[in-house]
Amino acid sequence: MSAAVTPAPPGSGGALLEASGVSIRFGGLKALTDFNLSVRQGDLLGLIGPNGAGKSTAFNVLTGVYQPTEGEVRVAGQRVNGWVPHQINHLGLARTFQNIRLFRALTALDNVKVACRAQGALHPVVMGPLAKAGTAMRNYRDWWRALLLTPGFQAEERELTRQAERLLEVMGLSHRRDEEAKNLPYGEQRRLEIARALGTRPKVLLLDEPAAGMNTREKADLMVLIRRLRDEFSLGVLVIEHDMKLVMGICERITVLDHGETIARGAPAEVRSDRKVIEAYLGDSYLESHGGAA
Amino acid sequence: MAVPGATTLSDETAGRVPPALRGILPVLIAVPVVVLADVLLNTSPFATYLLSVVGVNIILAVSLNIVNGMTGQFSIGHAGFMAVGAYIAGVTSLELKEVALSFLPVAASDQVLFTVALLAGGVAAALCGFLVGLPSLRLRGDYLAIVTLGFGEIIRVVVQNTEAFGRALGLSGIPQYSSVAMVYFWVFLVVLVARRIAGSSHGRSLWAIREDEVAAEAMGVDTTGYKVRAFVISSFFAGIAGGLFAHFVPIINPGSFTFVKSMEIVVMVVLGGLGSSTGAIVAAIFLTLLPEGLRSLFGALGAGGSLAQKVDQIRMPVYGILLVVLMLARPQGLFGTKELWDVLPRWLPRKKKGMS
Amino acid sequence: MSQLLQHLINGLAAGTIYALVALGYTMVYGVLKLINFAHGDVMMVGVYMGYATAFALGRQAQRSLWGVVVIFAVAMVGCALLGFLIERFAYRPLREKPRLTALITAIGISFALSYGFQLDVGFLPGASPRAFPEVIVPSEWFIVGDRDVVVWNWQVISFLIAVGLMAALQFLVYRTRFGKAMRAVSFDHRTAALMGIPTDRIIALTFMLSSALAAGAGLLYAIKDTSVSPLMGLYVGLKAFVAAVIGGIGNVPGAVVGALLLGLVEEFVVGYAASTWRDAVAFGFLILVLLVKPGGLFGRVAAEKV
Repeated sequence: MSAAVTPAPPGSGGALLEASGVSIRFGGLKALTDFNLSVRQGDLLGLIGPNGAGKSTAFNVLTGVYQPTEGEVRVAGQRVNGWVPHQINHLGLARTFQNIRLFRALTALDNVKVACRAQGALHPVVMGPLAKAGTAMRNYRDWWRALLLTPGFQAEERELTRQAERLLEVMGLSHRRDEEAKNLPYGEQRRLEIARALGTRPKVLLLDEPAAGMNTREKADLMVLIRRLRDEFSLGVLVIEHDMKLVMGICERITVLDHGETIARGAPAEVRSDRKVIEAYLGDSYLESHGGAA
Repeated sequence: MAVPGATTLSDETAGRVPPALRGILPVLIAVPVVVLADVLLNTSPFATYLLSVVGVNIILAVSLNIVNGMTGQFSIGHAGFMAVGAYIAGVTSLELKEVALSFLPVAASDQVLFTVALLAGGVAAALCGFLVGLPSLRLRGDYLAIVTLGFGEIIRVVVQNTEAFGRALGLSGIPQYSSVAMVYFWVFLVVLVARRIAGSSHGRSLWAIREDEVAAEAMGVDTTGYKVRAFVISSFFAGIAGGLFAHFVPIINPGSFTFVKSMEIVVMVVLGGLGSSTGAIVAAIFLTLLPEGLRSLFGALGAGGSLAQKVDQIRMPVYGILLVVLMLARPQGLFGTKELWDVLPRWLPRKKKGMS
Repeated sequence: MSQLLQHLINGLAAGTIYALVALGYTMVYGVLKLINFAHGDVMMVGVYMGYATAFALGRQAQRSLWGVVVIFAVAMVGCALLGFLIERFAYRPLREKPRLTALITAIGISFALSYGFQLDVGFLPGASPRAFPEVIVPSEWFIVGDRDVVVWNWQVISFLIAVGLMAALQFLVYRTRFGKAMRAVSFDHRTAALMGIPTDRIIALTFMLSSALAAGAGLLYAIKDTSVSPLMGLYVGLKAFVAAVIGGIGNVPGAVVGALLLGLVEEFVVGYAASTWRDAVAFGFLILVLLVKPGGLFGRVAAEKV
């Protein structure tokens, strides 16, 4: 799989994902203000903040679910303002969801295969009108290949299965291969979501509270796993997490949001001792009971 | 297996058939079988008519299932696409009535022209599907329902106002090219197409859209594009069904393709189970034969015309009540998303140990 | 010029009736996010109730003021009851199910009603349209010039009734406790339930209210058309639904504006083009609006929370 990952494209200073000055407003509400972020290959970044701080909103802007009101988002050097999520995904950005969104009635294997398929070399990076027309033609030709069951198509399907099986293996889900996603235990559902995201061959992986609902042991395993995935798949990883310990444990740099504004950024140690962070994140009562910043 | 076709192609132990042949083999088998059956049966005109109606309804139900079942959208204007196919194919046949391909025997020439007319109807319907699908599939599911319904109405009005389509009176004199063999060849094709889509990566993308559109989009599935393509394929076969229909009934008029017809197809798909092709087939057969059976029954009992006539009247409210009861008691329909062979008793030899 | 004025008046008169029905769609969509396909057919049943009442009253009484009041009251109360029953036994059990199941149920009810009423068994009226009694004896109230522009009394009366009902609804939704609860349920029915709002009761009341409005509108329509038929619900209901969607479904003023627009567009098509194209134009107008503004004129496409 790692062979599939191309080196960072030139012209973006090596940043695979870059948000500069991104703001988003819903009506009068400023959900995110002047958000800046840059993820390179090999990065393991954290995005934290109290409830409603705008973390998930940030994810949604980065992945194209919402459009930024101001600022720009670049993926692999390409400006993606106005793009829809699947196009952005094809540039190498994959995500998981805070509230698990698997294809519940599909088997674990098929969940991953959907993602594996959707990638492929079908979509050119820059969608000019000509390229768009070409893509449309290829899409329809692809249906004919499926309907006629051409040998090439059969081989492709087998290859897809192999890829998906491999990803299930990496995530330790091989034994669940043919089980419906909805029947998997919670922790495995979370892992399956990561496997699915990896199926799209991302360069950057966005994990939205991957440890939510896990016990301490599972969390520890997850920390190891995330690091391993980063190295094995040469990813840049951005993690939203509530669990301070997890974030502090694995992330090299952390951005802290509160009320949509970035109140701190830096290495875990710096962020941990930042008074503003403690105030916002843990509340004044924490300061009182613990006698100030640790 | 939760999902029909989830037995992915590569999983099957079909090693005996060379890959190059697997694509075309079913067709090679089906054609002689259908023709032979037609010759052997050589049935009464009524049986031929009934078989044809059943076949057309199967095509309609299975094709609608691609949109309503597999993709999870809700189209209630399928009769509109059927109408497009029926009228375009009918007009094409009428235009070509005097034409004969001199290098072929008359019967063969007719069938070639018939196929041309059918394809013209199917393509026209597919084009309409594209035009309707493109804007409306960007909208939420319930808007799609209403837009497809509106489309059906627009088609009806257009037909009623077009001289070439015979206005409200309808189109008659279309050559009766259709045969049971031809109808069932298309039945076979639509089922094959539905199965192959379901088992392919495209089908998985459609299932993904049905399960969770947001997640599908995030995983790189071009949800709008896929929905439009599903719509195009579905309307193509609706058009074919209409074309077949036009070539075995004495007259087609706008009254044959109303909202009532659309609903009939929806009921078939829902009863069979949204997402189950074989379910759609079983429901289509059942719901087509039931009123016919009741009618003959009343006729045989000597209840006379009145009760037999009532069957047609009662059919519609019964469909309505059936939908409500189904949704309350068994919303997944007869088969859910499973296929017939998934729900058959386990004594049948299975390829793998039972999953799900 | 006077022709234009006449069409304007006719269009507005038709539009106000659509508006009353459209409000029912919009209110139910607001609280349940359900397209109540059966709404038009509930309306039709209401008209038949009014029809039966008018006959029971007899020719003399049905034309008096109190007769009209009784006819409207019976139809509206009867419809409210019907709306309640449908909600209670068909929709409520499906509230936590996928939205598609409720939509299919609604289509089923619509079908059962509109085709059930075409049977001529027992009290069911049979398929052919019937003449609706002249509850309001038509007379020309305003005449401009040499009958260039004519305003009928029933146009004015139905306009006034419709506007009155809309004003009452506006008051109800924005000025009363019930309205506040309704809006809360519409915003998020689970949270509303947690806040102690009796959501079941609010939803049931919304259904009753919308059904009663529909009955009133249906009677006005039947008076205008002087006929009643089992398929009128499907027909008027669809138009009203189109109006609600054009205005932005779930939006109360939007439904009214959409309905007036639709009434005018239809009237102008009939007046200046051909009446046979009327239905196609209505749906074409809908598709056009949805293309340009997917949420309708006043609605917003709510982004799904991810």
